[in-house]
Amino acid sequence: MVDLSIILAGFSDAFSLYNLLFVLFGVVLGQFVGAVPGIGPIMAMAIAIPFTFGLDPLPAIAFLVGVNKGGLVGGAVPAVLMNTPGTPDAAATALDGYPLAKQGKPLKATKMALFSSVTGDTFSDIVLITVSAPLAILALKMGPIEIVALMIFAFSILAGLIGNSLTKGIIAAALGMLAASIGTDPENFTPRLIFGYWDLFNGLPLPSVAIGLLAISEILHRLSVAHGSVGAAIIIKDTGNPDDRRVTWVEYWSCRYTMLRGAVIGTVLGALPGIGSTAAAFMSYAMTKAGSKNPQSFGKGNLHGIAAAESANSAVVGANLIPLLTLGIPGSVGAALIISAFMIHGMQPGPLLFETQGRLVYGLFGAMLMANFINLWVGQLGLRFWIKVVSAPESIIFSSALLLCFVGVSMATSGLFGVSIMLIFAVLGYVMASFGYSLVIFIIAFFLGPRFEKSIAQSLSLTNGDLTQVLKSPVAAALLILSVISVIWFLRKNVREEDA
Amino acid sequence: MTISADRMSGAFFCLFGLAMYFLVIPVYVETAEGGSLSPKTLPNIISIIIAISGGFLVIKPTAQQMRDPRKMAITGLYAALLAAGIYAMSWFGFEYVAPVLALAIMWMIGERRPLWLVSGVVIMPAAIWFAVTQLLGRGLP
Repeated sequence: MVDLSIILAGFSDAFSLYNLLFVLFGVVLGQFVGAVPGIGPIMAMAIAIPFTFGLDPLPAIAFLVGVNKGGLVGGAVPAVLMNTPGTPDAAATALDGYPLAKQGKPLKATKMALFSSVTGDTFSDIVLITVSAPLAILALKMGPIEIVALMIFAFSILAGLIGNSLTKGIIAAALGMLAASIGTDPENFTPRLIFGYWDLFNGLPLPSVAIGLLAISEILHRLSVAHGSVGAAIIIKDTGNPDDRRVTWVEYWSCRYTMLRGAVIGTVLGALPGIGSTAAAFMSYAMTKAGSKNPQSFGKGNLHGIAAAESANSAVVGANLIPLLTLGIPGSVGAALIISAFMIHGMQPGPLLFETQGRLVYGLFGAMLMANFINLWVGQLGLRFWIKVVSAPESIIFSSALLLCFVGVSMATSGLFGVSIMLIFAVLGYVMASFGYSLVIFIIAFFLGPRFEKSIAQSLSLTNGDLTQVLKSPVAAALLILSVISVIWFLRKNVREEDA
Repeated sequence: MTISADRMSGAFFCLFGLAMYFLVIPVYVETAEGGSLSPKTLPNIISIIIAISGGFLVIKPTAQQMRDPRKMAITGLYAALLAAGIYAMSWFGFEYVAPVLALAIMWMIGERRPLWLVSGVVIMPAAIWFAVTQLLGRGLP
């Protein structure tokens, strides 16, 4: 168990003015980019990672968490005002937020989104802080054989859950692993698939792959959509009634059960790898509507609809870190980017992190809690400004984002070679997305690839190459059986869907 | 029978996996003595998985629709522009290429408003230059 003095030291680190400033900066940036349709917190996190190189690990990671949390709040702004979610998570928010904006109550809708988002997020952070350390102790009892089995199980779940085809999920995971195998192999340290480019000796640069796949490929797609047209500024209606610009305590309190349900759904789904916040938001929305005495009011500007969607999608953020911190397995792209920030700062997320970097982990927890309060505060002050941000033209947003990516990757990889790799992966990401292959699975497999191979090598050493020994570990055997069951289940589900 | 997006990509990945297994990995992965796992083992297994999955996708495609080919061609144009920008940066540096690149991108999107053009072409690159070289003390590409 982590010593109490380490926990307290971690929290005191988080509450230092220096760290709080980075959290504040992250939240402001996150809300800003979340409000811009087409950018979103994931892209912002990917762009921001190289700029955190010079920072200590805690402010760097706390800053990225701030971007992620702020982005979810900001993402609700275009969803409410334009019916164009800034992030996919906010799509469910638009169902009731946009009708409210059309009624001249955009501030009421965005404030309800803010309050419920912060409520759901805080709930899941508390669950994360409570359960992750005990889970990490359990995870520490796992050896390399169990870790290999666990990763196979995680891949089988991810490949089945994300996207519309298990086969394509498997191909995406395999491509990610293949990309991860470029460089030196972890056991013999011989160069592998470097094609004469000695810059690749240490593997593909993480920032190049992450930013190319997640940021540039999406910008390329958005550029082709925006090509030849400049978006017109939106017109925001306002009734002039002060009550339509705020959420009263009575209105907030009347949504308490809705928010609690959303927070529980978001936390449970967020703790499982592969189920994103979009699914959580829609599930929470559907359950709230089904349980409502007045279901016909949903879709016409019901505050419960906004509360259900926002509390659930925000609760996913904290819960996503449960598999990351306890098992070292990122359950989403946001978590994968946070893993890359850990790795850039020389740390490997996983159960050992609580032993070796306990102070940092609890510092991160403290920063996450503070980020929620700062999110609320910045949102209260900034919502009026973010409403104006949604009308910024895509031409300046995308050209600026591209230049930032160039500079960020160049700084992180010490030159234009890394920028060229970034462009190659941007094109690869665009083509993969065009043909329906999941980039999320690719990037998670890329992050986990080296650890997976190392664990296989260790397992083979432990068992003297006799793979039947794997079955003598009950945990590994159970996980492998579960993997087979999940593959069969997803294959049958795919066949049923095709027949339907 | 029309060629679906999945059949196209499946056939590509089937060939890609086979090419990796038979042509690329034998040449570009060195053989190592000793150790419990050869450097070729995992790439070989992955290649086989890709080839088999690609073949499976050819046989059982989903109803995946491809993006509009015209939009994909436009994306290709933007990607070529970025590639040219990277090449130009290796010769002339970020300071000179970034404004031109930003102008080209904004112009291709359709931006013609002088104020926004000035913001994107002058103010943004200057702000990046200031933040990176003056505040962070790092070099530009």
